[in-house]
Amino acid sequence: MAIPTRFATPSMAAGASSAEKDRTVQQTDMDALVSRCSAIQTGYLTDPYAEMFLDISALRDRRYPLINRGTYIRTTALDQVVERFLSRPSQGKKQIVSLGAGSDTRFFRLAADKSLQLLYHEFDFPQVTTRKITAIQRHKELAAIITESGKADSLGNDTSTPGYQVDIRTGSLRSPCYYIHPIDLRTLKPGTPLPTGIDPTLPTLFISECCLIYLSPNEADDIFRWITGSFGQASESTSNGVGIVLYEPIGGDDSFGRVMIKNLSQRGIVLRTLQRYSTLERQKERMRALGFTTGMGACDVNFIHDEWIDSKEKERIDKLELLDEREEWVLLAKHYCIAWGWVERHAASSQADGLTFQNWSQFPLQQS
Amino acid sequence: MSDLDRAIEQLRQCRPIPELQVREICFKAREILIEEANVQIVDAPVTICGDIHGQFHDLMELFRVGGDCPDTNYLFMGDFVDRGFYSLESFLLLLCLKVRYPDRITLIRGNHESRQITTVYGFYDECIRKYGSANVWRYCCDVFDYLALGALVIGAGSSVQPTRSADGEDTETKVREAEDEVEIEVIGLGGVVTRQMSRRDAGMINSTNLTPSALPHLSSSGPAGALLTGVPGTGASGNSRGTANANTPANTGGAVLCVHGGLSPLIDSVDKIRLLDRKQEVPHDGAMCDLLWSDPEEIDGWGLSPRGAGFLFGADIVKQFNHLNNLTLIARAHQLVMEGFKEMFDSSIVTVWSAPNYCYRCGNVAAILELGEDNSNAVLRSGGEEVLFNRENTRRLASTYMGGSMKRGGPGRRYRVFEAAAQDSRGMPSKKPMPYYFL
Repeated sequence: MAIPTRFATPSMAAGASSAEKDRTVQQTDMDALVSRCSAIQTGYLTDPYAEMFLDISALRDRRYPLINRGTYIRTTALDQVVERFLSRPSQGKKQIVSLGAGSDTRFFRLAADKSLQLLYHEFDFPQVTTRKITAIQRHKELAAIITESGKADSLGNDTSTPGYQVDIRTGSLRSPCYYIHPIDLRTLKPGTPLPTGIDPTLPTLFISECCLIYLSPNEADDIFRWITGSFGQASESTSNGVGIVLYEPIGGDDSFGRVMIKNLSQRGIVLRTLQRYSTLERQKERMRALGFTTGMGACDVNFIHDEWIDSKEKERIDKLELLDEREEWVLLAKHYCIAWGWVERHAASSQADGLTFQNWSQFPLQQS
Repeated sequence: MSDLDRAIEQLRQCRPIPELQVREICFKAREILIEEANVQIVDAPVTICGDIHGQFHDLMELFRVGGDCPDTNYLFMGDFVDRGFYSLESFLLLLCLKVRYPDRITLIRGNHESRQITTVYGFYDECIRKYGSANVWRYCCDVFDYLALGALVIGAGSSVQPTRSADGEDTETKVREAEDEVEIEVIGLGGVVTRQMSRRDAGMINSTNLTPSALPHLSSSGPAGALLTGVPGTGASGNSRGTANANTPANTGGAVLCVHGGLSPLIDSVDKIRLLDRKQEVPHDGAMCDLLWSDPEEIDGWGLSPRGAGFLFGADIVKQFNHLNNLTLIARAHQLVMEGFKEMFDSSIVTVWSAPNYCYRCGNVAAILELGEDNSNAVLRSGGEEVLFNRENTRRLASTYMGGSMKRGGPGRRYRVFEAAAQDSRGMPSKKPMPYYFL
């Protein structure tokens, strides 16, 4: 019987090399994946793919109810943001770029909807992308999804060839609809050319799920500038706006936050942009200042739990487990946020209601 | 030195004792607990503690702050286990103390003293990890079923006793008027009292409302004008069933009901708690479940609990219950409060939380509540002047508390507020586990 530990494993002491520091950041992905599997197993989330990315040797750890709930809210909130991006206007191809995607399964979950015209990219360290590609090759179901969704996109292609190409040496995968790019995010700066396969003419959504927080504030800002400098330029016929959604910790100034910073630093994890973007207000200002100027918003996870989840769904998750940690939940959930921003100009030839990101102005907003 | 004393010594060093000895101690504990009432009567003075949750080194800090058992009479309101790394050592130490000094320590049941909850929140896993089998967990769970559901503190004075200095000696004291017998003591690391204040000092209340004659003496103004003469909590019906202290004179301070969670819509008197059959696993609903799971909330009447068990109850419920049962205060635990304690509803109920930096993550301070003996009409207070307090947390705490406003009532209370034991005193292995965050 596997004995769940419920506590994350520490990994390193101070004075670690930069390679070790990178490895620590990469390991946060496994940590999040184990949490995801726990939330799936307990019935919070439905995701048949997450398990497939779990190393055989990985501890299948059941998390505490408040962690399951947090994993659920994080995933569901991002799903809502993504869903609104994809649903409007109903026609037309969209592009998603997931920064530090790790073992995230969002592509596979979205690709189940065959009617979707989607180009999906993931960026991560080569060590992480290689592991992901290995898992894809090991699980026929995953490979089939890539092949299938690629077929819909490239009509008339020879169906006997595999639907994707892999370079396992570099850790890259490409198909008509899905790319895995081995990229160190710190190399993305204003002027950096777009990686292969990225189409700057498509309406594009960037996702950072607990990723940019590990970069230096300047590196993280550079990525924002790289995005807003490369996308969001309206052309004659399309309003190919660009948006970003972040999920990350906030609020390092109170006693909970100080303990969080200290505890994580003992694991070698430094939340490097936390200080600069520590409040919802600062997150919104970040969007504005770095080029996502059309609209922006930020809510903490506690607010999202209370206001974004409909009552029927809340009733369902309340029944899954007794949540004895109510006060702790509120405390923890107020220290994470979802922040989003977008820039989108009217295409010369289209109506205002054709704008992709217009839906994003309708999320319930938290008064800060 | 007896085997029991040796076990206590070993557990004080945070070292588990052999399985066979656990079995023996659990057996003895059960024999003691089976004789206890559902609502155990406890004489003041007593020190009331909230959730511990396996934070062994913080429990040691609690004993440093509150005095050792048996020198100090303790009442623990449950949730000894789960969440922390040392549920086993914490619970077994308290249990050994119970067996060794049955009249100096009272343990009542929390919602985590349950088979179902301990399998989710860590105690079960800890037993497996430390013993390789579930036997010890089973022995402990069998003890859980015999723990009292509540306690009634009687004889609590309207004043608190002189405080002790960190080394346990009484410090120089001086007499003050019996006006505001709530003391808050903020204790820094190492048990040094870094800040002490009374409500009057803090400028929180209008002292003209606080003369003893203005205090609500519920014992002389019972329902429908009837004079209540019975032991508090018995409904003053002359029925003293189940209480060993039937001869205790009616007490001007009323009694203090201690329970882990709170009230139940199915329970309108302390006597009804006495009628429950408690020797079972905590049920999913019903009166016994509610006592262990409910929370006070700023609502009218009763509300559904977001925890999925128990209820929320408002000020009206508490005030009516206290009035009908001749109680001056309900002390309960169950909810994390960042300041260690929180009085609500005009001080008719207090939450006491005794796990500092809960789950090694929350950054909160902890508190214990001392109720004095009813043998004095003067408040004695440490002569130590306000000592500089140099910890950021305690400074925040003090200012938070001073900013509040409360109307006073009930017995004299001293809250001792303390922080988590220093990391190095935990003696944790270098590969120590870490609390979880979303990454």
